[in-house]
Amino acid sequence: MTQGIYVALTAVVIGYVYTSLDLREFGFGFLSEPAAFKVGNQWLTDVDGVTNSRITMYLVGVWSSLRAVLVAIALSTVIGVLIGVARLSSNWLVAQMAMLYVEIFRNTPLLVQVVLVYTILLIGAPLIENVVNVGDFFFISNRGMAMPWPVPDSGFWGTPDWFVGVWVAALLAIGFVAQRVRADRQGRERETGQPHYPNRWALGVFAVGAVISFFALGAPVSIDEPVIVGTHYIEGMVMEPEFTALVAGLTLYTSAFIAEIVRGGIQALPRGQTEAANAVGLSGYQRLTLVILPQALRQIIPSVTNQYLNINKNSSLAYAVLYDDLFRVANIVQNKAGHALEMFFVIIVTYMLISFAISVVMNFFNARVTAQRI
Amino acid sequence: MVDMPAQNPQRIVLPPHRERARRPRIVRFREWARRNLFNSRAGTALTIITAAILALIVYGVVYFVFVDANWRVITENRWLLFAGGYPMDQEWRLWFSVMFVFLLIGLTYGTWASLGRRDHLFIVLASGFAILLLAHGGAAIWSTIWYLIAVGLLYAGYAIMIRMPREAGPGRTLQQRSVAGLLIAALPIILIVLLAFGGARPRELEGFVLNLVLAPVGIAGGLVIAIPLALGRASRMRAISWTCTTYIEVVRGAPLLGWLFVALFILDDVIGGELIVRAMVVLAVFTAAYMAEYIRGALQALPGGQSEAAHAVGLNQFQSMQLIVMPQALRISIPPMVGQAISIWKDTTLVTVILPLRELKGNADSAIAQFEFTPDRIEAYVFVAVVFWVVAFIMSRISQRVEGSLGIGER
Repeated sequence: MTQGIYVALTAVVIGYVYTSLDLREFGFGFLSEPAAFKVGNQWLTDVDGVTNSRITMYLVGVWSSLRAVLVAIALSTVIGVLIGVARLSSNWLVAQMAMLYVEIFRNTPLLVQVVLVYTILLIGAPLIENVVNVGDFFFISNRGMAMPWPVPDSGFWGTPDWFVGVWVAALLAIGFVAQRVRADRQGRERETGQPHYPNRWALGVFAVGAVISFFALGAPVSIDEPVIVGTHYIEGMVMEPEFTALVAGLTLYTSAFIAEIVRGGIQALPRGQTEAANAVGLSGYQRLTLVILPQALRQIIPSVTNQYLNINKNSSLAYAVLYDDLFRVANIVQNKAGHALEMFFVIIVTYMLISFAISVVMNFFNARVTAQRI
Repeated sequence: MVDMPAQNPQRIVLPPHRERARRPRIVRFREWARRNLFNSRAGTALTIITAAILALIVYGVVYFVFVDANWRVITENRWLLFAGGYPMDQEWRLWFSVMFVFLLIGLTYGTWASLGRRDHLFIVLASGFAILLLAHGGAAIWSTIWYLIAVGLLYAGYAIMIRMPREAGPGRTLQQRSVAGLLIAALPIILIVLLAFGGARPRELEGFVLNLVLAPVGIAGGLVIAIPLALGRASRMRAISWTCTTYIEVVRGAPLLGWLFVALFILDDVIGGELIVRAMVVLAVFTAAYMAEYIRGALQALPGGQSEAAHAVGLNQFQSMQLIVMPQALRISIPPMVGQAISIWKDTTLVTVILPLRELKGNADSAIAQFEFTPDRIEAYVFVAVVFWVVAFIMSRISQRVEGSLGIGER
């Protein structure tokens, strides 16, 4: 009965929304038409938007978003854990500084942080005419930071793409071998009680294998040095101020939240854990990495996953600093072609897919962390 | 043990911890510093490095604030930043709202908490900041006076309420109910004062006033939608729980900017109306999805025995929800809800990004677009950050005090 009324009401609302939207031209055909606009902040891609379709430009935007999100996730995790541990430091000054950091960056809008960093980069950095040149290697100006970057060459295998494909395949195989070595050494360590250094061995195997395979393929890499032409860098790896501002803002903001999560996770542990670690004579660093953090991770990972999803969604603030991420490119497409409903559909599906990928990876970690009995 | 001069040989021998407490302050401070700053060689090094970094930061901030920065971009654009397009001859409406809110803060603190030394310090500092802003330039002596009256109202409300007896009884119930009722009625009252009877048109809400209107509307509207959503998601009826789950997951799937995009381009056809109203609807709908999840978490955290006990004493489903389950669930969910409220407060800046609505950050953009102030962009944004920080800090402080007095987290 109640359910019947509810279904009828929902149907009425959906019917109203459906009829009020103008759906006569609904369809995704407009995405394959030529774009006729440019997308900046490209890396590893080179599309000019003349012959490329709108969906290609959108995918370039998705790639820009992913880059910013991945870098921000990595940085904010490292900084967040550091600050979270520092908040519990026995050193009063360090703890107070960490608290100040958290209170400042948690309570100011992310938009203002991003825009402020962007403004400081534009005003504070020297003009590109007076670029700061660090040993012909690193360049800093208000057009961003540039440094040399390795670019695949042809080597023994015809084209650069071939080389990259073969080398990545080789690296995967070596990684698999390293994983086996690690498991084997861990097993022996558990059996004999003698240290067999599984992590060091695995890393060593991987590094040696990577270097050998690199040279076996003919070391087909050339270094691209950044060159300044007019008011732009060409070649090399360029970090534009837009990218830096977005990543810095996301990192500052999210690391404050992650710090609080880490602190909460550590504080939730019984005090006896710290005391027991001290009693068996572990150093402060060992106490943290062997006793405290592994246990706290159980409580930390689900909340940190939420923060990663927030980073993904907050990366849409790229719009405010004109970084061409997926949201901004979608807006440009909408301005050119209309079809707001379809574009919104595309946006939300993209964000959900990225969120889904992040969740899958983090659930995998979570399963591994909670699989170990404590 | 430190040797104490035998001043009074006949005094009573105290236990060791009292003995330590009697030592002179400088000795106690030295011991505190040894324990908390210089406890080992590495600790000393850490302290020195941190102190050096701190000194650098303090030097940079002081140099920026007092030497480098040109704060005229703020003082010359006070009205633009705070009220924007609000009609100037209706200024009294704004001041009335400020006074009303300050009075409410005083009443709330007096009823459920008390002001400690740190709160007084914060009020004094925040007032100093506000007066520095208001009185600078000399033209606005009246706004300083209005502001001081508002602070006076805060303390007056606090003084009245703190003198009421805290013991449970009819008087206490009346006091709590009336203050709570005033809190609930506050938002409609302020909206009426700002907009009705010859006030501003909705699109004239701008600047900081717009942030201060959008955030409470988003929070209150979100809460109103969130409670049925959370209950619906936990419902046993498939149709209801599926639609509620879909709503929550879809809304949480896209960023707020995406939903504001919907407000701009798509909602126009569906509900129409002023853009600012559509932005409010989107904020409420967006907040509701997050709040519903917090309430659902709290519902799940409640022991099942609570609703069973309610049924056992003969309450029906609705009564057990209203009298037993919801009060406890809402109490548990206060800390994350406040977090969400602060988050919405910060997210009100986003309306500037793609909507043609100008809140504080948007009007800061307008201020630095003037030729005279183009070099002062950093100052403008720092000011915006500080203003948002102050309000968010007040929100988190109030929630901490309310949590403390409600005994949340204690069992």
